[in-house]
Amino acid sequence: MTWQESALDCLSTSAGHAYRPGTPNATEPTALAALALTAHGREGEVERALGWLRQQQNADGSLGVTETQDAPCWPTSLAVLAWHTARGTHPRSATHFGGALRRGTQWLVEQRGEALDRTPILGHDPTIVGWPWVAGTHSWLEPTAWAVLALRATGNEGHQRTQDGMRLLIDRLLPTGGANYGNTFVLGQKLRPQLEPTGLALLALAGQHDPAGRIEGSCGFLTRSMDTATPAISLSYALLGLAAQEVRPTNADELLAAAASRTRSDEPLKWALLLLAALGDDCPLLPNRTEAVRET
Amino acid sequence: MNPLPRRALLAGAGATVVGLAAYPYVRRALTTPQPVFLARGQRYDGDLRKVIRDGLRAVGLSAADFRGRRVLLKPNMVEPNRAAPQMTTHPLVVVAAADVFRQMGATVRVGEGPGHVKDTEMALVESRLQEALADARLEFVDLNHDDVVSVRNRGGLSRLEEMFFPRAVFEADFVVSMPKLKTHHWVGMTAAMKNLYGVMPGIKYGWPKNVLHHAGIPETVVDINATLPRTLAIVDAIECMEGDGPIMGTAKSLGVIAVGQNLPALDATLARMMDFRPERIGYLQLADGRLGPIDARLIVERGEPLRELVTPFAIIDSPGTVGLRATSVGIKTSSHFRCPGAALA
Repeated sequence: MTWQESALDCLSTSAGHAYRPGTPNATEPTALAALALTAHGREGEVERALGWLRQQQNADGSLGVTETQDAPCWPTSLAVLAWHTARGTHPRSATHFGGALRRGTQWLVEQRGEALDRTPILGHDPTIVGWPWVAGTHSWLEPTAWAVLALRATGNEGHQRTQDGMRLLIDRLLPTGGANYGNTFVLGQKLRPQLEPTGLALLALAGQHDPAGRIEGSCGFLTRSMDTATPAISLSYALLGLAAQEVRPTNADELLAAAASRTRSDEPLKWALLLLAALGDDCPLLPNRTEAVRET
Repeated sequence: MNPLPRRALLAGAGATVVGLAAYPYVRRALTTPQPVFLARGQRYDGDLRKVIRDGLRAVGLSAADFRGRRVLLKPNMVEPNRAAPQMTTHPLVVVAAADVFRQMGATVRVGEGPGHVKDTEMALVESRLQEALADARLEFVDLNHDDVVSVRNRGGLSRLEEMFFPRAVFEADFVVSMPKLKTHHWVGMTAAMKNLYGVMPGIKYGWPKNVLHHAGIPETVVDINATLPRTLAIVDAIECMEGDGPIMGTAKSLGVIAVGQNLPALDATLARMMDFRPERIGYLQLADGRLGPIDARLIVERGEPLRELVTPFAIIDSPGTVGLRATSVGIKTSSHFRCPGAALA
């Protein structure tokens, strides 16, 4: 049995998944598990997860972080992606989850990060509106990238919010490539890039161009920064970002196998991301890899 | 020493920070001199267990306080990077503290919710804490992704009515703040009190924990400290950070381990050691008289005399460092300054 088959079996064991044993089921690992199951052809096993996500949906279309916490709602993008991706392969998804998908997408379009006045203290442009982790706070790279992915997938690539989101992501890339968790310069000091936000930004920016070369520089940063010891989550995002930019490394399978060998059976978030990264160009998270069906 | 009635506190009963003095432990902290222990000449390859034991004893703690108790060690792993070990608590200090508490009969776990890194395993790897904890057979709890418990904000200084703590924090009898001593460009310095930002779960507060920034950094530092159950601190000031802390500053060798039960008193002492004026640090201003003293006359020095350890830390010119030095003119405390909705970096 390959690590992928074992991982898919792990993700098939329950409807919802927690970050770690003994904690409540959570939206992020469950949505990513649903995406992985769908993408690897386990359509028959994904409906429970999609149903669990629908049960978590708030009246306004959002989803909270766990089954006990109905806010904040930054994981809504992931649920939207899970429902949307399944509808292309699962015969009953369009009927069962179409309403949830529409409500979630609409909520995403209406969510806005708090804009700030430009200030020499910060290197990024704080006037660009993206998505926050928590309502009432500033826009940050990772929730913006997930929202952009969800809106691009659901036929909203041309929406002003999506375009602004992509503009924000490019603005948050460091001049030499890579992305920090969301700042670029603070008080004149350039921050350090990290794998996860860089990979996620490049994934959401698939097909986009930056004349300043920051996307290419970011690809270089990711390629230089990975090895067989790279932790599973960061590795997965890095490989997804490189696949989206069509520069997936030739040793990707080796890197993924090494990370998989260190992953325990009770770590569904890691398994889901490793499984998605293993798909390379065929990963449904890559924009334009799934049929865009307008949801708003 | 009688611990605070933790369950009552965490269940939301009782008063806000002004009324905390109703509790014997807090009342004592406000009315009796607070001991702070400083030891110099320390090295990471030295006898850290001995100095930590000596420190705990010097500030009035013994094995009886920890026997059968659950201790959560909270190091600083805000944004680890192998090229900048001066940013994060050294793993050997964490393991040494764990050994001391275990020897005293406590159950020990290590927990942290890195403020700027969502992939907590990456933070563990980059800080080199992962291998150290594995070797020491210490359990690590990812506080960013733990189950969360809602607690009424007992500080009452910020607009936040409730706070969400990880269950691992909620269930701990002692939360031991184990910071790296650093400058901080928004609030002057970060040590025992500010390090406790890292107990707040990212799934509820974000990466960075922007909810707290928007509610006011000094206010939320005090609110968190007021709302947590029992805290004490063991500070890694062996290799510190100066300049553009808490992320991008440079290394500064000091060779000090500091221990305290009262965190405002401890941080005020460390500020003086850095040649800063504690009354110019917003969260210490707010904590003074509420959670403990910052006036040197109400702090009892144990171990090395402070005057022999004072070493000016370089600071950058930023809104959070105005007036820190005794020689500065004018004052612009962080009470008047709001982090511009952005991260601490």
